[in-house]
Amino acid sequence: MALTHRSFKHLSPVAGGRALHVAATAAAFCLAGLLPLTASALPMGSQGSWMVMGDSSPDGAKLSANYALTRNDALGAAVGRWDEEPHKGAPGSHMQRRDFAGLTYTRLLHRWNLPLAQANLWFVGMAGSARAQERAGSETLGSASLLADFETTRVYTGAGVEIKRAGPLRHDTAYARAGFSFYEVEYEETQPWLILEAKRERYSLTTKNTVTPMLRFINKSYFVEVGGNRDGAVLNFMLNF
Amino acid sequence: MSITLSRTLALAAALGAAFIASAVYASSSAPEARTAKISVNGMVCAFCAQGIEKRVTAMPEAGPLYINLSRKVVAVQPKAGKALDIDKLKREIAEAGYEVTAVEMVPKTVAALREEYRAKK
Repeated sequence: MALTHRSFKHLSPVAGGRALHVAATAAAFCLAGLLPLTASALPMGSQGSWMVMGDSSPDGAKLSANYALTRNDALGAAVGRWDEEPHKGAPGSHMQRRDFAGLTYTRLLHRWNLPLAQANLWFVGMAGSARAQERAGSETLGSASLLADFETTRVYTGAGVEIKRAGPLRHDTAYARAGFSFYEVEYEETQPWLILEAKRERYSLTTKNTVTPMLRFINKSYFVEVGGNRDGAVLNFMLNF
Repeated sequence: MSITLSRTLALAAALGAAFIASAVYASSSAPEARTAKISVNGMVCAFCAQGIEKRVTAMPEAGPLYINLSRKVVAVQPKAGKALDIDKLKREIAEAGYEVTAVEMVPKTVAALREEYRAKK
């Protein structure tokens, strides 16, 4: 399903409750294979918990789930896609789709628990296969990511790099995020945030830069981000149980 | 003789005061000083801190729980007739990925602590 022409207005959140409803609906669509999703947030939960993550943007999507075997390690799986231009500026060219699936390993490399903040350093690896729309057969896929974040109850900063390769296919991503919460809330309440993400993606032949403002809603078990950029709407969610 | 009597009376008065004081302490502290107020580093968001709630509420002796992210406090009240294992509490919070910096037993219920923090906002 193409997301390029989907307007941010259709996904504008009104309140945390509605955003959660959107996330749940999106998850349902994802599981039905109608709306592929991609993950890009806190990559694992506490030991013995499941984390389900979905990310959706106009040119990519991923759905993943992992189980925390220890407080530092999680195993899981992911499926997704990314679309890229075959050649920058080529007239009449269409976006080319790559689909991928694989097993994932997440490792909390280090955590700093500070009196007023927490910082984390993560590694996420994936091994699987990818298939290009214009090519027959599939390629062995491997990816590795390093993610870092620093946050307080009111301020969030994060950055990450991911290298994804499958034969001649390439999708490397670097991003930085920063934002703040409008106010502190009780533990049981939903907390709204304003987040700005700057992302650079490098494909086989082209590169792309995007800046995306997002509204983030954090609850005990739900984490939802909705935003939009020049290409269309962005939706990210996480469920931990 | 009078000195012996006065000393005896003084001793009796001291023992009586000590008895009364211990009775008052027992009646005021034993049923109230039950909630563990734990200071925790690293708690910055509910989505992340829910691991603490899951692990602590899974403890059989744990009753009402209160988490305050801005104060960095986890308060746990034992179930009636049970006692909290403080070392186990600290281990569970550490296993959830956080750092315990202090534990204080307070003569208040979790509900009272919650109201106290809300009043201080």
